[in-house]
Amino acid sequence: MEQSKKSLNQQSIIFALIYGATYLPASWLLKHKVAGQSVSVIIALVPVITFAIFIYKYIKAISAMDEVKQRVQLEAVVIGFSLTAMLLMLLFLLELCGISNPGWFGYGFMVGYCWLFYIIGWLISKRKYGV
Amino acid sequence: MKNTIKVERAKKNWTQADLAKHIGISRQGLNSIETGKFIPSTLLALRMAKVFGTTVEELFQLEVDEDGPGE
Repeated sequence: MEQSKKSLNQQSIIFALIYGATYLPASWLLKHKVAGQSVSVIIALVPVITFAIFIYKYIKAISAMDEVKQRVQLEAVVIGFSLTAMLLMLLFLLELCGISNPGWFGYGFMVGYCWLFYIIGWLISKRKYGV
Repeated sequence: MKNTIKVERAKKNWTQADLAKHIGISRQGLNSIETGKFIPSTLLALRMAKVFGTTVEELFQLEVDEDGPGE
């Protein structure tokens, strides 16, 4: 049982790494327009698929965690989601004022900010529950 | 909410890891419950009471300021 919990945790981490390993090269390839449009669409879909598999594994791992760890993950996701939504709202409103900086706050960066906010939430929650 | 987990654990001469294994949670999770940072579910509280051979009411008690509005 404990072994299977560990294995589910490891699987979700492995799939997070696989997602990262597909997202970064895909971004680079698409940015440098290495392939034609139809191939580019396929390249763009690869990280989406790996992310979907990661989310599936992550949910499975959460369901096998004990209730304290589940709470930590829940709070981390809530904090991560809320901060990302706040940033998106702020950027939209600033854009309406004519202020925007796609160099730092483009769609591509939003993914990074989302992960950053999740990690912040995770650290806050871990500290709160002392796990 | 206060609890007597540490006392009950000491009676059985169990470490946190021992108790955690008996009730099926992680040692860190148990530490979080024992120190009052996390309130366990009814299921976990019942499991704990069962392994100690006591009741949930004896294991967990409300603090004075945690009594309901009708108290």
